[in-house]
Amino acid sequence: MNRLKKAMIDYSINHYKMVIFLLILVTIGAGSFLPRVTVDTDPENMLEKTEPVRIFHNQTKINFDLSDMVVVGVLNEDDPDGVFNPTTLSHIYELTKFAKTLRWQDKKDPAKYTGVIEVDMIAPSLTDHMSQGSPGTIKFEWLMEKPPSSREEARAIGNKIMSNPLLTGRMVSENGKALCLYLPLTDKLLSYKIFTLLNEKIKEIGGKEKYYITGLPVAEGAVGVEMFTEMKFASPLSMLVVLCLLMLFFRKWILIILPMIIATISIVVSMGLMIGMGYDVHILSSMLPIFLMSIAIVDSVHVLSEFFDVYTLEKGRKESIREVMHTLFVPMLYTSLTTAAGFLSLTLTSIPPARIFGGFLSVGIMIAFLCTIMFIPAYVMLIPERMLKNFGLAVQEKEKENWLTRSLKGIGFLTYKYAKPLMGVLAIVIVLAVWGISQTKINDNFSKRFALGHPIRTADIAMNKHFAGTYTAYLVLESGKKTGLCSDDLGKIQADFFKFADSISDTYENAPAFAEQLGEQFLSFVKKGTTLEAFFASAMEYIDRVATNATDKEYDAWQELNNYLGLEKERQKTFKQPEVLEYMAGLQKYLEQSGLVGKATSVCDVVSKVNQELLDGRPENFQIPDKMQKISECYMQFQQSHRPQDLWHLVTPDFQQANIMLQMTSGNSMDMEAVVKAVDAYFLRQAPPAKLTHEWAGLHYVNLFFQNKMFWEMLGSFLQSFIVVFIMMSILFRSIKWGLLCMVPLSITIAGIYGIVGIIGKDYDMPVAVLSVLSIGIAVDFSIHFLERCRITYQKEGAWEKVSPIMFGEPARAISRNVMVIAIGFLPLTIAKLVPYKVTGLMLFAILAFSGIITLLVLPAILKIAEKQFFKKTAPGRVDFARDVKEQS
Amino acid sequence: MMKKILFILMFTIIAGFAFAGNPSASADPGVDEIVEKANHMSLYQGASVKGRVDLRITDKQGRTRHRTLNILRRDNGEDGDQKYFTYFQAPADVRKMVFMVHKYANGKDDDRWLYMPAMDLVKRIASSDKRTSFVGSDFLYEDISGRNILEDFHELIKSTDKYYIIKNIPKNPGSVEFEHSIAHVDKLSFIPVKIEFYKKNNTLYRLMEVEEIKNIKAMEDGKKVVYPTTTKSVVKNLETGSTTEMIFSKVKYNLGIGDNLFTERYLRKPPRDVMR
Repeated sequence: MNRLKKAMIDYSINHYKMVIFLLILVTIGAGSFLPRVTVDTDPENMLEKTEPVRIFHNQTKINFDLSDMVVVGVLNEDDPDGVFNPTTLSHIYELTKFAKTLRWQDKKDPAKYTGVIEVDMIAPSLTDHMSQGSPGTIKFEWLMEKPPSSREEARAIGNKIMSNPLLTGRMVSENGKALCLYLPLTDKLLSYKIFTLLNEKIKEIGGKEKYYITGLPVAEGAVGVEMFTEMKFASPLSMLVVLCLLMLFFRKWILIILPMIIATISIVVSMGLMIGMGYDVHILSSMLPIFLMSIAIVDSVHVLSEFFDVYTLEKGRKESIREVMHTLFVPMLYTSLTTAAGFLSLTLTSIPPARIFGGFLSVGIMIAFLCTIMFIPAYVMLIPERMLKNFGLAVQEKEKENWLTRSLKGIGFLTYKYAKPLMGVLAIVIVLAVWGISQTKINDNFSKRFALGHPIRTADIAMNKHFAGTYTAYLVLESGKKTGLCSDDLGKIQADFFKFADSISDTYENAPAFAEQLGEQFLSFVKKGTTLEAFFASAMEYIDRVATNATDKEYDAWQELNNYLGLEKERQKTFKQPEVLEYMAGLQKYLEQSGLVGKATSVCDVVSKVNQELLDGRPENFQIPDKMQKISECYMQFQQSHRPQDLWHLVTPDFQQANIMLQMTSGNSMDMEAVVKAVDAYFLRQAPPAKLTHEWAGLHYVNLFFQNKMFWEMLGSFLQSFIVVFIMMSILFRSIKWGLLCMVPLSITIAGIYGIVGIIGKDYDMPVAVLSVLSIGIAVDFSIHFLERCRITYQKEGAWEKVSPIMFGEPARAISRNVMVIAIGFLPLTIAKLVPYKVTGLMLFAILAFSGIITLLVLPAILKIAEKQFFKKTAPGRVDFARDVKEQS
Repeated sequence: MMKKILFILMFTIIAGFAFAGNPSASADPGVDEIVEKANHMSLYQGASVKGRVDLRITDKQGRTRHRTLNILRRDNGEDGDQKYFTYFQAPADVRKMVFMVHKYANGKDDDRWLYMPAMDLVKRIASSDKRTSFVGSDFLYEDISGRNILEDFHELIKSTDKYYIIKNIPKNPGSVEFEHSIAHVDKLSFIPVKIEFYKKNNTLYRLMEVEEIKNIKAMEDGKKVVYPTTTKSVVKNLETGSTTEMIFSKVKYNLGIGDNLFTERYLRKPPRDVMR
């Protein structure tokens, strides 16, 4: 280790030009990949492609032909009729017409189109309306074939919509003030283009209406756009602030740009590698520069701080930097290794963006370390000695004592004099923090990624005020797996069949004989894995064959048998059965009444609505008919519309799977969780009338699943890195006791930070979770630096009484400078429009400040109290880097 | 100079032969005549017809659904009013369901009835247009009972070896979802074997193709005749990705189906003729 250290430092001092040249080359090389950046804002990608929940979600989208939607909300709060006035409706009509044209020939496949899927659009002019005509007549028409020319016509359209439970709360708000157009997309990546074109058209249409464009694809697109803005704007601003603070401390621009250079090199190289290796930039990895900047600066500020304190004109830059590097090499190596190890633990999670982020961040940290070791000496060598005139503590301290040195002395005094009371206070803090942690809410809300006032957030709030909710989840019910027929089933089918044939023998005298003839064939219809449905189909085919040439009388008998089997076959179709639909309707009602769900829509509503209109249109007939055939007639009638395909968003054509679409006004994953629990409870309390499984899909659910998964994975990852750091610390100090001591400030810091998160009710989401790993890295950094210096100094001084004031000199200053530079330096992030950046800025501030203060308070206090336990047994033969320093000097 | 004259001469002769070699070019009937003939061939052969329709609807994921119906048609006069009686055979849960249509050649709205046996309801249907799905398939009502030729402007845009290619533009564009359609009318049979429907910007979105034509023997006024009949056709909806194949079998012309069948009375209890 020592030889390596010496070789590296000597090489960079002696061959500084070569080192700088190589670093520039590597940076340019890696940087050349940066322009290839591609962004991934798809929240689904937080999960593995093979994650069962994600597979099911995508399969559900295929099974029910569901697409991602852009939602255009039109609001008219001024008109007494809300949106149902001729002007607003004609604007809506025009906008719908325009939206239909938003599709383009697919470049890959010219026969296909990408863009808005017209056939699945939901708009008044594209929706069917079913109503009562003259007595005995049922009327089918477009809900709004053309824009109304009078107020009466406009109101009539409103009444039509309000009479249809499939549309209220979804297409039109219950109060009639708002209307939504739903534009399904072939590809959600087109959302930003469509968003832009819609906005242009809306401007052209004019009018008093307010328009809100939302929907998950739009939000995702906006995150992507904002991410770049933040990277281009907030991060450089942070750098600038950091630079100003450094200037304040070190006063030599030529030296303070060093941390910036190191941060830049490590960011460019690691991001370049990431992009060069073909990884998309996810919202998490877009924060990599910020994280890396903080870590790289911590290292180089240590060096600068030490250099500042050590440098004297007599010693010269070469000897000073050599001394500094010798002192700091091992602590820096360990802090880098521990921080890197912390983030490396993210690569063991099953969250792909976290893996990429963790992996490349660890690489970046090690690059920053290498840079610090190799580049700083080389850089210092490049500076002519004369430019360092007036640099260094020796020069400045003689002039005056400043507020920093004074307050640090004060803290030192405090920890020495009041060590025990201080520990008592910290114990109370820990208790409070633990209680706070127990209050943690694991929650995420996609729209809350945008700060208040952002158009997406504004739209989200406005729309959810008026509608039953814009957050959608799909509760997919599936009939129990159909197993192959067994001989018991066959016996039962046969017995029932014969019984039926006997029952009609009065009218169809041939029936029993024919049934017997067919019954003899039954076994031949059954092959391995034949389902009931397939069995009945084979039996019916048989009848078709034998009945073709039968006499009329025989034919009639065959037909009755055929019909019996046909109905048995249809009875296998779960979602045609009245008791099943009743059960679903009950579940929907239960969810809506619980207040957890704004609106639930399923085939029950379709069937009930058609039933109502077929009968007489009276509201009390909005109900599910009591017989399968009646339900089938409703289904058939619904399909005889302009848009038969609408049915298949709610049930699969084999009627084995049904989709209950749930709308929620809250984007909180916690609220989704409450719905999931409520549904589970309903199924437990009330057994379904048929074998039914239920599973969830929809991004709102996927997000909930992710949050829960993320929580445990991040906790695991945090514990792993905690243990790794502890082991490394024990190795570094060759002592478990010292290793444990090192973990104390870090544990208190993390408990404190997350205690506050819990107490103030900040949602625990991905960025917050990732920051816990960063906390380990940074807090342990301070401990290492502090403890290493304690031990060296103690060896020289032999008593804590003497060590303490020294520790609150330069070492404490280095830590404080770091705290201030980074903590304040990242506050500009809080002006970001994306909340995760804001949170990161604030959390970095808190983590730095907290861990700095805790390190400076708790470590000296413990060492004061347990001085004997920690220092008496220092083995004389122990090799540590302190001796090196002595040898060198 | 000599060469040039020779060249022109040669060119003229070749061009002349080429022209003469395409006899139909000068012998094309007028567009109205083609359209009328095509209309007759696809809708009006025989005074009445009965057959079985099997529909196989396949969605873009390859999932299929079946329907079997018996369909009866009776004409009132040459290329005039028509009556349709459609009786469901399968699936069993909608068996005995009936649609009945009285269609008027003068462009008056059709009269439509619906009988639902399980709900025991007879309903008249009032509809704003005829471009709604036929029993949930990709065929529209208008494909079954025919689009009235008076509703479109017709233009013969091309005449190939085999087909007259006719462009139909709706007179009332607001009433339909397509901007125009292109029909390929077979020159020999006058059956429109392919109709493409286009939306704005010449976007093809719907396609109907005849896949099989059979010559069905029948008696007309005591004489043996042959009616070329479409027995298999396919409609593809390129927007939904859904396809419907229609097979027309057990086709029998001029059975002497009585006019009284096509009344409300028979919706609930059609005669065996209809059911079998």
